[in-house]
Amino acid sequence: MNSESKHWQDWELHRTVTPKNIIIIFIVFILLSFSAHNTELDKAAIETSKAVLSIVGVGESQVLDGALRFVSKAFPLQISDRTPVNRLDKFDRNNLPLFSYIESGEEKEYDALTDTWSYETTEFLVQPVGYLKKVIIKMWETVEMGFWGTVICIIISLPLGILASQNYSPHRFVYSFARTWLSFHRSLPELIVALILVLMYGFGPIAGVLALAIHTSGVLGKFFADEIENAPPGPQLALSSTGASAFKVLRYAVFPHVYPACIAYVQYIFERNIRTATVLGIVGAGGIGMELKGRWDVFDYDHVATILLAIFLTVILLEVVSQKLRKKAL
Amino acid sequence: MLKFESVSRIYDDGTKAIDNVSLHIKAGEFCVLLGPSGAGKSTLMNMVNAVVEPSSGNIKLGDLVLNKRNKSTIQRRIGMIHQQLHLVPRLSVLHNVLSGLLPNVGLFRSLIKSFSFQDQRRACQLLDEVGMEEKHLLRRASDLSGGQQQRVAIARAFIPNPEVVLADEPVASLDPAMSRSVLQSLKTAAQQHGATVICTLHQLDYALEFADRIIALRKGEIFFDGHPSKLDETTQNELYALTQPQPVKLEQVAA
Repeated sequence: MNSESKHWQDWELHRTVTPKNIIIIFIVFILLSFSAHNTELDKAAIETSKAVLSIVGVGESQVLDGALRFVSKAFPLQISDRTPVNRLDKFDRNNLPLFSYIESGEEKEYDALTDTWSYETTEFLVQPVGYLKKVIIKMWETVEMGFWGTVICIIISLPLGILASQNYSPHRFVYSFARTWLSFHRSLPELIVALILVLMYGFGPIAGVLALAIHTSGVLGKFFADEIENAPPGPQLALSSTGASAFKVLRYAVFPHVYPACIAYVQYIFERNIRTATVLGIVGAGGIGMELKGRWDVFDYDHVATILLAIFLTVILLEVVSQKLRKKAL
Repeated sequence: MLKFESVSRIYDDGTKAIDNVSLHIKAGEFCVLLGPSGAGKSTLMNMVNAVVEPSSGNIKLGDLVLNKRNKSTIQRRIGMIHQQLHLVPRLSVLHNVLSGLLPNVGLFRSLIKSFSFQDQRRACQLLDEVGMEEKHLLRRASDLSGGQQQRVAIARAFIPNPEVVLADEPVASLDPAMSRSVLQSLKTAAQQHGATVICTLHQLDYALEFADRIIALRKGEIFFDGHPSKLDETTQNELYALTQPQPVKLEQVAA
């Protein structure tokens, strides 16, 4: 033992609770409370407790009223379609669509000049599962949007990812350029890109597909680049020392290694794209969101509930299917 | 065939890894490089593979002087077995072997992993020679045992028909029985294809058993070069002392 060093009983020990730590926690707490006030977390707490109180019968709550307004109109879910006969072109009374029937009822009509509601008795064509069918078709369109968004995303991000990986980029400037480009793609939110693309391509799924592809290619490209950079160098060295070109080394030593991780990323991107595609319709970029927005604006909450249920079931189904597919792909 | 003409290599920090080495290795020889860690074995191998350039002197493969300019030509004529093998774990045994042929395969064919039947048959032949069976052909390299992976690495090194095969500690992580059988496979494969082998080893016993020629290095200089039978008692003991790990004295630990 060295005679100059301290005796072990005099060694300085580790402490968790020190005045410095307490002051840091105190300051962080104050800053967080300001931020929480800015984001109305205090109001949320108050309103939520009011709602809980009003459930047990004390006072009234704005939160509970809002929820009740939706829920009372949302159930039962609307799955049938009811259209006035006089609004249908090519209506043939003797040759109705399958399972549908004609019903007479009152139609509300608004007269803007006199600001009054008038009632008219007309006939309606009722299709019992007509609306459900429409929602399923729209939902399928949404899934297709997510799928093609993912495909275009892979096509963009694969070459960009390779250019943005330090060890396979042809030049330092190409590397920085590709990295910057990917960050740029990542920094463009889908909804805003979709707004602009709707101006360019018009209403419809094409704007949505491109918006999804642009945003997610930034995310996926960065993942690809990082995976390629972190691939074990040994096999790459072994292949390049036989004289194989960089492209072949990439194909045989890097690609098999990054494949499982990339499949996982692509799966995540695909699921995310479908979830995002459901809301992209709100700005007119196709999919079920357009229907959702239209129905929400005219307070058809029973239709909205059907749409929400369809989205929920699709997302769950998709997760199950993609898990099974992934196990097969590995 | 492989000629070292007073080759030296000095690294940037001033260490002399190889000091004025002259060697002439004949075609088809099975040479074993012996020496303690840091004796310059790896530097010598890397210079043959044109990864490291000599600071002075020349290395000639046939008539070709090795340097960075003709690196790719040289690398096509040389097979390499690395110490950590460096097989691609998720690729099948067949494709690991075929990846040794990549420089000769077209870009598109290599992209879709479509190798000609002729190449695939050759890979099968090589795998058979090193003692692998058909059932292993499409298994992933990561599913194989250490000895089997070593055999695959040998087959990969031999597939481009190299003139020289460099093996960097091919049996470092194997048990004695497996080491012997792997070295035997390496030697048989080399004889079949008429390739020169330069192999670094730590164990003198294996060197005595398999080598046609032992080259012992110490601090970048050759201190023995010749057939194992020419090894006299004193040199052999010296070599043992150099290659076996020194027992650490207990007093050193306590101090």
